[in-house]
Amino acid sequence: MAAATLITNIEKLKDLLVDVFLIDPKEFHLDLKREQIDTWDSLGIVSLAVGVQETFGYHFTQDEAIAITGIRDIIAALEARGISFDE
Amino acid sequence: MDAVEVLVERRSAESLAVLERHWSLRRTFAYVDERSFTAVPWLSEIQEHIPQPYRQDHYCLLTSGTTGAPKLVIGRKENSEQLARVLHRAQDSDPVRETIVTLPLTYCYAFVNQWLWSRVINRRLILTAGLSKPELLRESLRRANDAMLCLVGPQAAMLRGMFGAEAFPGVIRLHFAGGRFPQEQLGALQELFPNATIFNNYGCAEALPRLTLRRAGDSECASDIGYPVAGVQLKSGDSNELLFLSPYRCVAQLDSKGFQEIAPEQWMPNGDQVREGDNGHWHLLGRDSEVFKRYGEKIALPQVLTTVSQQWNGQTGYYREKDSAGEDGYVLLLSPQPGETELHRLMQALRTRHPRTHWPLRIEGAPSLPMRTNGKVDCLAAQKMEDRTLLWRQRL
Repeated sequence: MAAATLITNIEKLKDLLVDVFLIDPKEFHLDLKREQIDTWDSLGIVSLAVGVQETFGYHFTQDEAIAITGIRDIIAALEARGISFDE
Repeated sequence: MDAVEVLVERRSAESLAVLERHWSLRRTFAYVDERSFTAVPWLSEIQEHIPQPYRQDHYCLLTSGTTGAPKLVIGRKENSEQLARVLHRAQDSDPVRETIVTLPLTYCYAFVNQWLWSRVINRRLILTAGLSKPELLRESLRRANDAMLCLVGPQAAMLRGMFGAEAFPGVIRLHFAGGRFPQEQLGALQELFPNATIFNNYGCAEALPRLTLRRAGDSECASDIGYPVAGVQLKSGDSNELLFLSPYRCVAQLDSKGFQEIAPEQWMPNGDQVREGDNGHWHLLGRDSEVFKRYGEKIALPQVLTTVSQQWNGQTGYYREKDSAGEDGYVLLLSPQPGETELHRLMQALRTRHPRTHWPLRIEGAPSLPMRTNGKVDCLAAQKMEDRTLLWRQRL
């Protein structure tokens, strides 16, 4: 029997960001900053917030979404709500 | 009053003979596709609104446009014959000995550009069942002898898919109208038809059918529709809407709102938006329905579709939809289903060449797209297809 593949939260976040910002999966790393992603615009923020809610069940407030400066901020905000990103 | 006879096109020699006979008679006739048979009772019902002067020396074609609502355009036979002669000169058609028909002759483009042209200039007309029977069409193309072929834009990709690496040297003129001009596929088309001069023929049903002409090689821009055909005048209105005068266009139209005469000096819109270039060529910005504002930014869908067609060789369609904020947007349809790599390449092209507001709300794939009888994608029907697959979406 094939072993079930567990998708980690990091992988889920990566898939989401690739989908929302159309970044190349090879460009993804945890230290990516907002200013490094040209498609991280105002509509991108809305799209990201919806995507996070769909994927992790947490809804960013408008202030939280605007204050995010990079991927590590997203992880920190979600970990503060009990969503683990430990490998 | 003389009755307006309704002729049904059946893509047969008998049907052609009936058409030929009625063109020679003075009595006005309406010409409809057999697949539009539901129009026959409608025509019988509304034809009482056609005044007597239009019941002789005219002909009527049915158009539905993007709304799906039927409209009868009424042209004067003499004017359309004159246009056929003008086109013959402008398109350098003298060496052409025959024309191969792939579109329904009830489509005004094929009707004037091919059937009437062949009648007026005395050239051979070869009927085919079009792309619905590719093997028969292939045979006609193999036997082509200095032939002219008239297609609509979406058929370019289908031809390549059907005939692959085969070449048809007997086709010496290739004309495109209806929908976006397949500029990106010119190289492949030239391989299929190595001896063909390719033209962009722009017009509309109300123009019966032609407004402009461009040799494909005169521009690298798909939206370049060239210069007006002799006698035609174009201008753009306050909102870039195309307005035209033409001695060949329809002289009246009849729809559910009633009969409307069109005065010769009346500038007529056709629902497209344009701008005039510096070199006398006109550029298509899109249909009124294809140019809209999204989050304050103007979107011209033909520009986005140009990017798509540079990355995607299959068929493309779209339908309009609003996002959850009530802002106008559109859904992109691709057929057949693209692979992951193709989709990724397309998305990267959208990302690098267009702001997010230009991106589709969703990308959907389908095994095939519904086509209208004139060879264009039926976007209204596509919206209702059940076998669509969601490939990507914006979360808005």
